[in-house]
Amino acid sequence: MTAPTDPQPILRVTEVRKHYGPVQALDGVSLDVSRGEVVCLIGPSGSGKSTLLRTLNALEPIDGGQVVFDGIDVHARQTDLRRVRQRMGMVFQNFELFPHLSVLGNVVVGPRQILKRPLEEAEHQARELLGKVGLADKARMRPAELSGGQQQRVAIARALAMRPDMMLFDEPTSALDPETIGEVLSVMKRLADEGMTMVVVTHEMTFAARVADRVAVFDRGRIIEVGPPQQIFEAATAARTRDFLRHLDWDGASDLMS
Amino acid sequence: MTFDWSVIVQNWPLLLQGAGVTIALALVTMVIAVPGGLLLTLMRGSPRAPVRGLATAFVEFFRSTPLMLQVYWVFYVLPMLTDVQVDAFAAGLTALACNVSAFNSETFRSGINSIRPGQRQAALALGMTGLQAMRLIILPQAVHRVLPALANTWVSLFKDTSLVSIIAVSELSYVGLQLRSQTFRVLEVLTAMAVLYWLMGYPQAKIADWIHRTCKVTE
Amino acid sequence: MIFDFTFLPGFWRFLLGGVLVTLWLSLASIGVGLMVGLAVGILRTYGGRAMDAVLSVYVDTMRSIPLLVILVWLFFAMPLVTGRSLTPLAAGIIGLGLHLGGFVAEVVRAGLASVRAGQMRAALALGMSVSQAIRVVILPQALIRMMPALGSLLVITIKDSAIASVIAAPELLYKSQVVIGKTYRPVETFTIALVVYFLLSWPVARGVDYLYRRVAHLGAS
Repeated sequence: MTAPTDPQPILRVTEVRKHYGPVQALDGVSLDVSRGEVVCLIGPSGSGKSTLLRTLNALEPIDGGQVVFDGIDVHARQTDLRRVRQRMGMVFQNFELFPHLSVLGNVVVGPRQILKRPLEEAEHQARELLGKVGLADKARMRPAELSGGQQQRVAIARALAMRPDMMLFDEPTSALDPETIGEVLSVMKRLADEGMTMVVVTHEMTFAARVADRVAVFDRGRIIEVGPPQQIFEAATAARTRDFLRHLDWDGASDLMS
Repeated sequence: MTFDWSVIVQNWPLLLQGAGVTIALALVTMVIAVPGGLLLTLMRGSPRAPVRGLATAFVEFFRSTPLMLQVYWVFYVLPMLTDVQVDAFAAGLTALACNVSAFNSETFRSGINSIRPGQRQAALALGMTGLQAMRLIILPQAVHRVLPALANTWVSLFKDTSLVSIIAVSELSYVGLQLRSQTFRVLEVLTAMAVLYWLMGYPQAKIADWIHRTCKVTE
Repeated sequence: MIFDFTFLPGFWRFLLGGVLVTLWLSLASIGVGLMVGLAVGILRTYGGRAMDAVLSVYVDTMRSIPLLVILVWLFFAMPLVTGRSLTPLAAGIIGLGLHLGGFVAEVVRAGLASVRAGQMRAALALGMSVSQAIRVVILPQALIRMMPALGSLLVITIKDSAIASVIAAPELLYKSQVVIGKTYRPVETFTIALVVYFLLSWPVARGVDYLYRRVAHLGAS
């Protein structure tokens, strides 16, 4: 592996360790993410990719190692965690929209309550963002009235409303019906095309192959392989990577790469 | 102000006796109110409207008025209405039993309603009678819902027995209040009474919590 | 058995005053109980282990000592310790409020626990502080789910306010006893009191049910 080394990555993960009781969830994980880069984390369930994602904005504490975001040691005691989290948008597998607020309310709540922006400005921005994810007409509805794919697009808009420097996606399509996965992925692709820095935990290999700049393969709490999608999907060096891809019926990505 | 706790030591047997009556009153009330609540629940499911109406009125009445007033009412009013003389203990027990039966009826009803109607239909389809379906299929399943609520009712009932002190049933509160006015050691007697209730009630509250946890796991 | 309500014209103003005191006593106790219970429930959930252990003693004490004993102790015994006596009404509000607070705290704790952990994570990920997340995201959802339980606590408090008659708080039951002392018409007077209490608490119970059915969907996550 000869990953190009960015002298000033926006995110630098160094030897992060994390255990739950006797289970070693993260066993010394290191990863750099450059500005504007899209990194997909793939691997079997329970291999630690979602756990790593949650340590990036310190929703999970770590037992060892370091996460540095834009020069800030995220897990250091004196770090203003709220400030860090405001600059990292996060999208969850189960959307986690706030059910007592309208769609618009969900997108407005961050700028209003956290950034103390004037209501008018916050609503204006929220409507713009809802338009961007194709839900301008749903602003007044309740989250429960939307399909899963629509809810997840609202969740993306909610995260974007904080104008983050980076977006974290935790299996954003795993809880969706097959027919609504595409609409979420296309919003994410557009975001990547606009130059957003993204770390995406996903089981959507097609998305990883098409959109990622680099793919990191997790197994048992470690990254066993990192590289551009062509390398991972067509010429994986680790046997476990090939095993994992075979389990997914991945029969080569040549048609996608061309 | 000096405190003289010897008054508690001297009257300890009396206080213990009061505590004994409190426990007995709560026990007997519950022994009556479980079948009483079941009976009310069955009556509320009766096909005959007057039976249903009577049971519903009974439950709503006892749930929506103060127990203390119910105690007075049974003690003063019932003898005048019916010409039956009742002693204080019987009057207190009657009020408590009616009150707790009404609450138990609600508990049983919501426990039974929590079982899918398909269960009853399946039992009937097997050829069971309505009562058999209730006894063999519905009630055993409803137990996990009913037990925690019954435990809460028990904890409340144990405290509520104190309300019959107003008609001079010699349970713990009555004994305490009497001792207070006989000895004038107000702080000592009332504190001892509160501590006695606490010593008895605290473990009961903990047991109720334990029942809640146990029933949640098996649900 | 003959009902004789002829005494009523002379006493109805007096009894009505009792009804107003019952209402005021209930409302004030509910105010105290909600504030205490909300604070205790939140602190027990998010305040760490030591805080939880200390406050659980308060909650379980309120669950194990009869309200009558609490009221009698506050009114008769506590002044001997503090040197300051309370009016019956003040002792009633404090006693009812603290007692209710223990039960509200349990409801609040269960309500907070019923909101998925992901909601807290999502709020924190947006950059909210924990207290902001509780106030803006968790509590509004929990409150809706807590409504049926809180509603029945309101009804219980209206009924329990009658117990304050033992410390001579001038509420409906106490005033009924005064009337009976003068007229010796317990049947009529207690029956009137029963009907009034029913009319006070039954609509509250039904009203909360109705309200909950209208807003229940907002609490589903």
